[in-house]
Amino acid sequence: MSHLTTIVKKEVRELLTPGSVISVLVMVMLFAALGGLIGDEVSKSTVMPVIGIANYEDQTIETEDGEWDAYEFLKDFYIKSGDKRITPENVDQFVLKMDKDDILEQMENTGASVALVLSDDFKKNIEESLKYSDPDNKTYLKGEILQYYVYQPSGMIGGTVSSAVTSAIVSNMNNNLSKFITGEEESKYVDFLKYPIKSTETYTYVKGELRSDVTPAEISEAMSGQTMFIPMIIMIIIMMVGSIVISSMGSEKENKTLETLLTLPISRTVIVTGKIIAAALVGLIFGMAYMFGMAFYISSVTFMAVGDSGLDLDSLGLALGLTDYALIAVSMFLSIACALGICMILGAFAKNYKSAQTMTMPLSILAILPMFITMFSGWYSSNALIQTVLFIIPFSHPMMATEALMNGDLTLVLAGIAYMAVFALASIFITVKLYKSDILVTGLSQNKYVEMLKGTGRRNRTGGQ
Amino acid sequence: MTDALVLTDVRKTYGQREAVHGVSLTVHEGEVFGLIGHNGAGKTTLLRMISTILTITSGKIEVYGRDVAKEGDEVRKLISYLPEDAGAYKDLTGRKYLSFIAELFVSGKEKDEMVQKGVELADLGDKIDFRIDTYSKGMMRRLLIARAIMTSPKLAIMDEVTSGLDVINAYEIREVIRNIAKSGVTVIMSSHNMFEVDMLCDRVGMVDQGNLIDVGTPEELKKKYGKETLEEVFVTAVKGA
Repeated sequence: MSHLTTIVKKEVRELLTPGSVISVLVMVMLFAALGGLIGDEVSKSTVMPVIGIANYEDQTIETEDGEWDAYEFLKDFYIKSGDKRITPENVDQFVLKMDKDDILEQMENTGASVALVLSDDFKKNIEESLKYSDPDNKTYLKGEILQYYVYQPSGMIGGTVSSAVTSAIVSNMNNNLSKFITGEEESKYVDFLKYPIKSTETYTYVKGELRSDVTPAEISEAMSGQTMFIPMIIMIIIMMVGSIVISSMGSEKENKTLETLLTLPISRTVIVTGKIIAAALVGLIFGMAYMFGMAFYISSVTFMAVGDSGLDLDSLGLALGLTDYALIAVSMFLSIACALGICMILGAFAKNYKSAQTMTMPLSILAILPMFITMFSGWYSSNALIQTVLFIIPFSHPMMATEALMNGDLTLVLAGIAYMAVFALASIFITVKLYKSDILVTGLSQNKYVEMLKGTGRRNRTGGQ
Repeated sequence: MTDALVLTDVRKTYGQREAVHGVSLTVHEGEVFGLIGHNGAGKTTLLRMISTILTITSGKIEVYGRDVAKEGDEVRKLISYLPEDAGAYKDLTGRKYLSFIAELFVSGKEKDEMVQKGVELADLGDKIDFRIDTYSKGMMRRLLIARAIMTSPKLAIMDEVTSGLDVINAYEIREVIRNIAKSGVTVIMSSHNMFEVDMLCDRVGMVDQGNLIDVGTPEELKKKYGKETLEEVFVTAVKGA
């Protein structure tokens, strides 16, 4: 067995401890549970709340064509709402008749979270307004409805459900009553008066070709799965492998195993390479586990946020081919190599496990920054300064690669790959140099350049020399 | 007599501060050589330079004729270094730790034999298959000495090898070192314990403020300074230095 394999095996064994595996599994389960929870909340939002209606009995609107009753409208609206629990037979369990006095008490007793109370002047206002024939009289009084809610703390999504349903009810009630008042034919004219303009067809230039019935928003929505998901995964993997490598160095120093390792008959290059390979392997395993949990979580969130656009990117020439995916894979691999190189350099200065954890901070910032930029702005809509920052940070390139390849910008992707290759080689070269220097054992405090900055070196009489 | 270790005008500088000032020293094959000195005297720096961990600012160190600065990889095949307060990978068992070290020296049947030798040297009974984080300090030190010796080094470098150990453990470790020396391994060790150095070492080097102020057998030094113990010799030498 080669020395490199032995070192890799040792590192992997140290990194894949029951504790670390359990913590990753717990995180995956948390993501999955969070996704499930959000999914539940989303599905809850399509469930109609129990609603009460009061003071409707004497408020029936009467015309020559018939009568309009708010209670009957509400029952009909609930039956047609799409809530599978509600049928014509049991709708009375969801739409409750209430008395306008002691409305709160009735809501508490019945479990209704929403109640609508028609004002005493509801019928009078509408009927009076209909009678006005004087064009100079601009005072058209409207029927008023009071809304009552019982607030139940249920988070960001749950809290919006009851008020959203009520808004929908009032809006539909308006349309329904409007049609009733004006009559079927007249209501079309009213609709025309309200909306005299209609947009019919949409044309969008995509990669130099004119496409119909597609808006930029729809394209962004369809691409969001890839343009959002990939940066997040890359950020997680980079933070993961970075933390692993730096912590490994910190542990070697804290457990005082580094000096022994450095005196074994293996070259420093093998030690560095072994640590990098092991961290990459374990990081990828952990990263994939996180990806699984995150994918579940994201699918819940994005479904809620954007729904399923159903847009075929292939037909727009925006789908990725095998070569594109290969380029993204190369870009990802090189960015991980860059992360490992940076971390090996930072890890060389870690005094112990705790200080190693602190040292992951700069790496985290470098991983998070391009993720947010690519998610919210992207390369093409950024100014020159932000583009420069994005290009310099090696982790940006795989995050930007998907969008660039979809837009046929091979130059940006290849330039990124070349830059990362040089960056990774340079960082690994510096790491090996560091491993051959005294800094690994003595730290920065006894470095000649640091001492020069501090001024004349002073004698240290504590600890072994 | 073959020279196992030769230091020629060795200097070590940290920034603008010189920690070791032109030390020259020869340790013969099969000899147990002790370095004594107070904290910060430069003992550990010397041992780390010999072990290839620290670079040499100037001068030359040769281990069995191999230049430490130029032939680090070759030198590391000949030596075994046991740092002060050294640790081992806590998630491994004692046996797996010995196996990991052995794999870096030999393979196949030779590796199994080396591990078995390490297990016998550690003498930890069934605890050799326990995780290292369950070991006491004495058990840990026995395991590390076994690790250092099982590879049959030509030069064993030991820094404060019995530091912090109780009387029984320290006694047993000294017995191990005595046996190593009998088997022909050259040992260079540092210690604060003058009694230990007096008992174990063939020759002693006294280090103060980065200088090697005197070298000789314990008896020669006692005679030279007119003192009965090595401790008195050291105090007299340092104060007079």
